[in-house]
Amino acid sequence: MAQEQVFFKYIDDPNQHKIDTYIEHGGYQAVQKVLKEYKPPEVIDTVKESGVRGRGGAGFPAGLKWSFVPQNTGKPIYLACNADESEPGTCKDRVIMENDPHMLIEGIMICCYAINAHHAFIYIRGEFAFPAARVEAAVNEAYEKGYLGKNIFGSGFDLDVIVHTGGGAYICGEETALLSSLEGSRGNSRIRPPFPAVEGLYKCPTVINNVETLASLPSIFDKGIEWYRSHGTEKSPGTKIFSLSGNVNKPGNYEVDLGTPLSYVINELGGGVQDGRKLKAIIPGGSSTPLLMPDQIDTPLDYESVAAAGSMLGSGAIIVIDERCCMVWALMKLINFYAHESCGRCTPCREGTAWLKQLINRIENGEGKQGDIELILDACDNIIGRTICPLGDAAVMPTRSFIEHFRDEFEYHIEHKKCKVKTDYPFV
Amino acid sequence: MSDNGKEKEQVTLTIDGREITVDKGTTVLEAATQLGIHIPTFCWHPKLDSIGACRMCLVAVEKFPKPAVSCATEVMPGMIVRTDSEEIVKARRGVLEFLLLNHPLDCPTCDKGGECDLQDNVFHYGIDKSRQTFTRLRVVDEDTHTTFDDKRIGPEVIRNMNRCVTCYKCVRFNKEIAGEYDLGAYERGNHTVIDAPPGEQIDNFYSGNVVEICPVGALTNTDWRYKVRNWIAKQAASICSHDADGQNITLWYDQRQLWRATSRRNDEVDEGWLCNIARYGYQYVNSQDRLTQPLIKKEGKQVPATWDEAISLIVKRFKDIKENKGSVCLAGLIGGNQSVETAYLFNKFFRNKLKTNNLDYRLEYIDLKSSDENEAYNSLYRAPFKIASLENADVVLIFASNFIKDHPSVNLRLRKAYRKFGTQVYTVNPVETKSADISIDEMIYAPDTETAFTAGLIHAIIDNKLYKNIDDAKVAEMKAKISPATLADAAKLCGVDEDRFTALAKKLSDANNPFILAGDFLVASSKRHRTANGLFNIANLLNIPDGNAAILGSQANSIGFDRVGMRPNLPEQVKKILEEKWGEPVPASAGSNTSQIFKNILDEEIDSVFIMGANPAMRYPDGPFVNASLEKIDFLVVADLFETATSSKADVVLPLAGWSEQSGAYVNIEGRYQRFEKALAPKAGIKTGIEIIHAIADAMELPLDLNLAELTKETKDVVDAFERVPRDTGKFFEVKQAQIPEHADYPYRLIIGNDLHHFGYLTEHCPSLMRFTPEPYLEISPNLAEKFEIEDGMLVRVESATGKLVLKAKLSEHFEGEVLFIPNNFAATEVNSLISRENGGWVKIEKLDDK
Repeated sequence: MAQEQVFFKYIDDPNQHKIDTYIEHGGYQAVQKVLKEYKPPEVIDTVKESGVRGRGGAGFPAGLKWSFVPQNTGKPIYLACNADESEPGTCKDRVIMENDPHMLIEGIMICCYAINAHHAFIYIRGEFAFPAARVEAAVNEAYEKGYLGKNIFGSGFDLDVIVHTGGGAYICGEETALLSSLEGSRGNSRIRPPFPAVEGLYKCPTVINNVETLASLPSIFDKGIEWYRSHGTEKSPGTKIFSLSGNVNKPGNYEVDLGTPLSYVINELGGGVQDGRKLKAIIPGGSSTPLLMPDQIDTPLDYESVAAAGSMLGSGAIIVIDERCCMVWALMKLINFYAHESCGRCTPCREGTAWLKQLINRIENGEGKQGDIELILDACDNIIGRTICPLGDAAVMPTRSFIEHFRDEFEYHIEHKKCKVKTDYPFV
Repeated sequence: MSDNGKEKEQVTLTIDGREITVDKGTTVLEAATQLGIHIPTFCWHPKLDSIGACRMCLVAVEKFPKPAVSCATEVMPGMIVRTDSEEIVKARRGVLEFLLLNHPLDCPTCDKGGECDLQDNVFHYGIDKSRQTFTRLRVVDEDTHTTFDDKRIGPEVIRNMNRCVTCYKCVRFNKEIAGEYDLGAYERGNHTVIDAPPGEQIDNFYSGNVVEICPVGALTNTDWRYKVRNWIAKQAASICSHDADGQNITLWYDQRQLWRATSRRNDEVDEGWLCNIARYGYQYVNSQDRLTQPLIKKEGKQVPATWDEAISLIVKRFKDIKENKGSVCLAGLIGGNQSVETAYLFNKFFRNKLKTNNLDYRLEYIDLKSSDENEAYNSLYRAPFKIASLENADVVLIFASNFIKDHPSVNLRLRKAYRKFGTQVYTVNPVETKSADISIDEMIYAPDTETAFTAGLIHAIIDNKLYKNIDDAKVAEMKAKISPATLADAAKLCGVDEDRFTALAKKLSDANNPFILAGDFLVASSKRHRTANGLFNIANLLNIPDGNAAILGSQANSIGFDRVGMRPNLPEQVKKILEEKWGEPVPASAGSNTSQIFKNILDEEIDSVFIMGANPAMRYPDGPFVNASLEKIDFLVVADLFETATSSKADVVLPLAGWSEQSGAYVNIEGRYQRFEKALAPKAGIKTGIEIIHAIADAMELPLDLNLAELTKETKDVVDAFERVPRDTGKFFEVKQAQIPEHADYPYRLIIGNDLHHFGYLTEHCPSLMRFTPEPYLEISPNLAEKFEIEDGMLVRVESATGKLVLKAKLSEHFEGEVLFIPNNFAATEVNSLISRENGGWVKIEKLDDK
């Protein structure tokens, strides 16, 4: 079941990040075609028809997002490329930026042409020094070739791309916080409406797309909608990179068609659970998504099927947990992360995640009290859906899911002041 | 841009089962408030952008997937909102529980207790049991190694993070309204700390507001904290007694003293924001240094006396001079922060009873005659400008004004117009000002060339045919009367590129609703009438609406005094009103203005002056002249709150009540008559200006026959009766740049004026303001400092033809070039000794030994 590779086609070529190699491999053809043959609305229509969905986590149709941008405000329109890849377990955008940055730049060019933007910003997370250097170098190469700047490919279209690195905050991957940070402010999320498409960066219409979303555009225009739709499912077309980690034999990034069964990724590509141990649970789409249980391992990896299974495809970070893992400990690690990364803007997330952290740590440390589980769940009710951005929800969803599926382990911890699972689990 | 009277679209919705129709764009919170439904908030403020952070104002909206923040959700037709459903009450209780997790619950010792939003909401929602069983979070402060407890983060502001609910109102106020960045949020999550940036403190001019808008006891100020409980203090509606904007304040006081001033929001004036001078500038009334009994000069020494002795002496001498030398030998001067009633009575006493026209209130300016007789100046000075109208401005030119300092409220309104409505701002000043950060172009003209600047702008308008509704012949006729004669010449003299004149001219001409506002640099200039001519011509050339071109007055009652005729020579309409009221003509003799009075004293034509609430010895910008005159005066009476440089020369000193110790009114720059209530009565031995005038008049058997109510009414009538003749749009005046004197030995132009945190000579008695600026300084540009190898804090000798002073240097990034500034708010430093009419304020400097 060998799958066609789009992002990873030249993953083994050590020179793929260089512009000449990229061109040799057929790069920058799509954008030339687009600039010559398409009018901007036709680009948007094509992207709509291709059905490509945002790869940042929410899976929002990209073409539809672009079509929300008002073209008559008299203000400039911006593209912000979200390269603040911070969801624990996720490392897919990093590979694109490191190995094939021109694919991203070409995608940015197509998008900007479609939405009539002349400035694009690539917001790269602060810790990504090497990917940022690669992207920066690629942007410089593109300028040198005249692919960026004024009158690109003689089409009269101008575009400037600015690479900006963040200060290292998870919240800046949330689109409105990303905009605040890009503007030079503290990375705080903002209430919506107004949505960024209407009032985003510097109060101007702004499209925010994930790296993988933008990088998938050249292939769509190279090979056509039909080809694109031949991958994936009706509602979730195309290929996607999954970042496989946790207790598997061969962790790593794998590109597969959407709709590929989870079991294929874990067992065939990932070589199965480490040392043949028993599978305990799977986090399918980044650490904020609810757990899938072993009996759900055949769930197809597309947006609808994973949602139907009670979780989310999210950013495509699959974390495999085997039988040795204490789920109280695992949840503690997650909640510590979310409490640490809460931006501090809205009350339920700022105070609530910190309280959850205290409570869950208490249980893990053998100091849990009767009623703590109920208190955690009640606090969750006061956080979820009450916050400005999804960070609060992101902390609550795994908390609820872990307690729902493994309540016995939490109760055991409170009663016996130790793990129910006797393990030699690493990291603990 | 506001809708200029256009009908707004209406939206009907239902809140808690009650239907309401409101303007489109209204938030659910505002609509609920209109229905009398209270929705609790922490982070919401009517004048700040909503950020929906505290989540207290959540409401349930039918068909919405989850509760919405009512502070930021706009009404939609047919919306069905519940503010009190079970879900919402649980959400709010949840928020309160979260906020209390790490709150110290120290209400009994917290200064905010009794006026705390958190206390009120917790009480309302009945959160009386805590599920929190952890040690409360205390973040260790890096500087003090104390936990979250009190930390001083500015001259006035003290922060206690334990109590903070992280609503960000303080930070947002600073950034959105004041345009300041000396307060920020640091760290993240529940470790978020509100603090000044490292190495800085929150000391901006509007910083007091952050304390007032703090919903809890996290931000308090030295002024008020731990002194009196808010529910014990009484309140009096008052008005700031310093600058001319007329900020509305509430004075809090008890039987001992005034305790604080808070804003009394008036959307037409201040929108609920106070500058630090309005907030802390009341404190001089509390001072222990107040005069409490009259002084009489005996054998060259002032000794305490009774009121009877003092009044009898005044009466004896006044009578003596009046009868033997004539009324023209008497004069009266009054300070700009006396109530309009006091001024009216003062005027009536001197003009109608003592029969002298030697009256003035402008004690800080020279060469008043030229502007008194200048139609352009008077027309622009009395222009019907409205602060709120700036919100509809598309282009605003701030001319010769350090706007933040001169007009704190107008400055904030301008910033609002800039931020919210895209108003474009240009500034033209002799030094760089704070307004630069919102200006498209900040033009700095060479000292004393403001007239040339207006000439240049006129040329730019004419040369580019940007004028409106005027025929070319008339324009050509005017152009011939402008000097410098060309744009190039004017530009060269001002040191501003021609292109910038042209760009500004085009912007003003293209604008639908342009404004030109001039301030204190113009008013203080002795050539103000020439510059006013230029501004008048520009306003007419560009057909700028009457209220949009204005010279703004500078003291609390500048405009009020103008209305009630506190000038020597009355404008016709004022004269008519006064004669009607008094039933007899005003004296026919020519009156002398401030400078003429001082001159006449030296010429032995005036023998006695009564100065009420003013300190010309310190503030008149020609020290040698005014001091010689005051020394020479035969009989000087000074009524004031404190012993001053002026009172030290007086034959009789009378203790005068402060503005808060009586009721009265100020008329602000807009001509807005605003009353202030009496707060605490003055201490025994102190009389109000009105009482003093009555006492003297009665003892002279020239009774004024006006009780307080009658006086108030009569004054109001006079103020209201004033009708300004609209600007004559058919007129043009000659514009001629004055010769700039030779000053080879004294190469640097010294500007004196108010420090940002001081106003006049009284604020030296306000401890809070002294915390911001405790001592005078020489403000100097880094370039000039480098030339003399002067570093910040070094002692520098400043010398003019008339005097010398030694001051600490303050290097200021605001300053470019060869202009110096010294504040004239400190009695111990006689800045005006450096300045005379002849030398025009030119000085040289010399570095003294290091440090």
